[in-house]
Amino acid sequence: MAGARQLPGQRYERRSEWKEGVLGLVLALLPFAVLVALVIIPAIDSLLFSLGQIPKNNVAFSTGMHLISSPHLTLQVYRNLFSSKYFAADLALTLSVTLFSVILVVVVSYGLALYVRFTHDRFSRLVRSLYLVPMFIPIVIASYALITFWGDHGFLNAVFSHLGLGFRTPIFHEAGIVLGQVWQSIPFAVLLLGSGLDNIAEEQIEAARDVGARMFTVFRRIVLPLNLVPLLIVTTFTFIGTMGSFTVPYLIGPNAPQMLSVDMSSHFGDYNQPQPAVAMAIVTFVIAAVAGAAYVWGTSRDERKSR
Amino acid sequence: MKETNSQSATRRAARLAALFVSFLFASGIVFASGAKESASAQQSSAVTINFYTGGDVNVHDLWANDILPAYKKVAPNVNVNLVFSEHNGSDQLVFDKIAAAKQAGKVSGVDIWETGRVLQAGEAGLAMKVSATDIANLSKVSPDVLAQAGGYGVPYRGSSVVIAYNSQYVSNPPTTLQGLFDWIKKNPGKFTYNPPDTGGSGDAFVQAVLKTSVMSSDLKTFQTSYNQSLESEWGSGWKLLESLGPDVYQGGFYPKGNVGVLQLLDKGAIWLAPVWSDMGLSYLAQGLLPANVKLEQLDPPFSGGASYIAVVSDSLHKSADDAFLNWLLTPEVQAIVIHKMNGYPGVEWQYVPADVRQKFAAIAKNYSFGFSAKFDSDMHQMWYQNVANAGKN
Repeated sequence: MAGARQLPGQRYERRSEWKEGVLGLVLALLPFAVLVALVIIPAIDSLLFSLGQIPKNNVAFSTGMHLISSPHLTLQVYRNLFSSKYFAADLALTLSVTLFSVILVVVVSYGLALYVRFTHDRFSRLVRSLYLVPMFIPIVIASYALITFWGDHGFLNAVFSHLGLGFRTPIFHEAGIVLGQVWQSIPFAVLLLGSGLDNIAEEQIEAARDVGARMFTVFRRIVLPLNLVPLLIVTTFTFIGTMGSFTVPYLIGPNAPQMLSVDMSSHFGDYNQPQPAVAMAIVTFVIAAVAGAAYVWGTSRDERKSR
Repeated sequence: MKETNSQSATRRAARLAALFVSFLFASGIVFASGAKESASAQQSSAVTINFYTGGDVNVHDLWANDILPAYKKVAPNVNVNLVFSEHNGSDQLVFDKIAAAKQAGKVSGVDIWETGRVLQAGEAGLAMKVSATDIANLSKVSPDVLAQAGGYGVPYRGSSVVIAYNSQYVSNPPTTLQGLFDWIKKNPGKFTYNPPDTGGSGDAFVQAVLKTSVMSSDLKTFQTSYNQSLESEWGSGWKLLESLGPDVYQGGFYPKGNVGVLQLLDKGAIWLAPVWSDMGLSYLAQGLLPANVKLEQLDPPFSGGASYIAVVSDSLHKSADDAFLNWLLTPEVQAIVIHKMNGYPGVEWQYVPADVRQKFAAIAKNYSFGFSAKFDSDMHQMWYQNVANAGKN
């Protein structure tokens, strides 16, 4: 893939290459300018705000309540945040929901991807289209569907009580958020993992089978190493996606503790305290950035290798 | 061959860039011509007022189908341009838009604005104080209702929180707050309210409980201004709310929003809850609540509130704005509002036509006042800490 530019015999006229370069730069500059104006500058503003610098010209920030204002940079907002047991509980919930969601998404999606890659019958074709379904259902509607199906007085509850079994609903509990996140993340994860699996040559697997490797050995020694980058992408995307998700935790989550996204929005709007809200956003960003770094490292390593 | 390939790629990219640039110019021209248009409209006698508002579809219909067509007949040369955002989704955006215009020294284009942020907008210098000198009918509005928004908005309708109960299961509904507490303890799992930040009905219930421990001399402060040190008076109120938790629906689950509570009431999962009078009556009229659900006000009453319309400071049509808002407070228009919204008038009940007053005799009472916005914000956070988190940390 990466060798497309060095097709044998391909020559560039120098002038046109130079022109192309300038043009590319100009075209890239436009989105970059938008990025600077709409993302980077506000992000720096927010960072300074969370460090006690209150912008006079930003009414949304300066009319907030319980502001911490300081002539020099201060970490007081963060100190307050991290000494609050409510924030600690919210952070713990966010991390545990994220962790469980990532593990479940990876396990379930890998299972599905392996199944549709190595089984070719009518049922596997059905599965192939079924796992895409969540992609086409808006998450708000899916959340309400999950509540109706899994919730108190819901469908499963009725089935269980019909069979004389007890039932504890995951809805409005931590498990409910994980359920919603797994539902939402599966199609993309299976697609990515599946496309990676499709790139593994049948011959490699057959060769291993011919010398007597068992299925598990084939998976561990051939499939898994060759499909590492898609796995890394799925893991980081699910991690970041779940950390930042709002709809599912807002609709399915418990009253308290809340996931950080919901807590942030409450602080910003309902409590009229934009400063801790911004600080929470920055904490979330730092955590997500670690995952992002893992992704960049993994994919660039792969690019270097394939060159 | 290959060179032509790369050349055509360059050409394609150049064409794309040209297209982009021409798009930029074109949109600039559209903006410029739009500005010119509004300037010329100002010179002629016809006036266009941009009215920003939001809410549910019933609020939209009230304006689009009833009030604005009626005003067209009264004032044919005034065009009220309705800019509606569903569920007030763009309240923050409108606030930012006006604030940004003020900072840039430009005109925001928002003339009047119905919002829950009237006080905040007024304090930020984005909305003007309204008074009976400019809007004569404001003299028919309770001064307390005006003070609730700092005098920065015209209250054109109101609503109060009441108790809704399912008469199939509840034959003797409580009539006082203490009676309500006893009922909750005797009927575990059959009562709930929404978290106070997610809707006014739960908010009013929490405030009513907190008021029981507030000193009466400080009540006015709680309703109209802010002093954080007074919040310690809420202490025993929080204890009371926490102690109700185990007897609340599912041992302490609070559904999100006014609608969440109404849906549980409809399912029969709960038997009694605080609801907005207007929502309750509308739901009953639409069959979204079973007919055996009844509404009733406690004594002393739960708090209610008004919907306020602010006059934006940079409006170029101040006299047209004032004339429109004054007309909104006339008896005929107030009667439309009461009928369509199942709500309370913005003016005091005595200024409403007598037949309307009689029809709504059961709820045609005054409501009490909630806490000021800043106390309310703190209360939202403290509710999560003291009630929702109870037993979880």
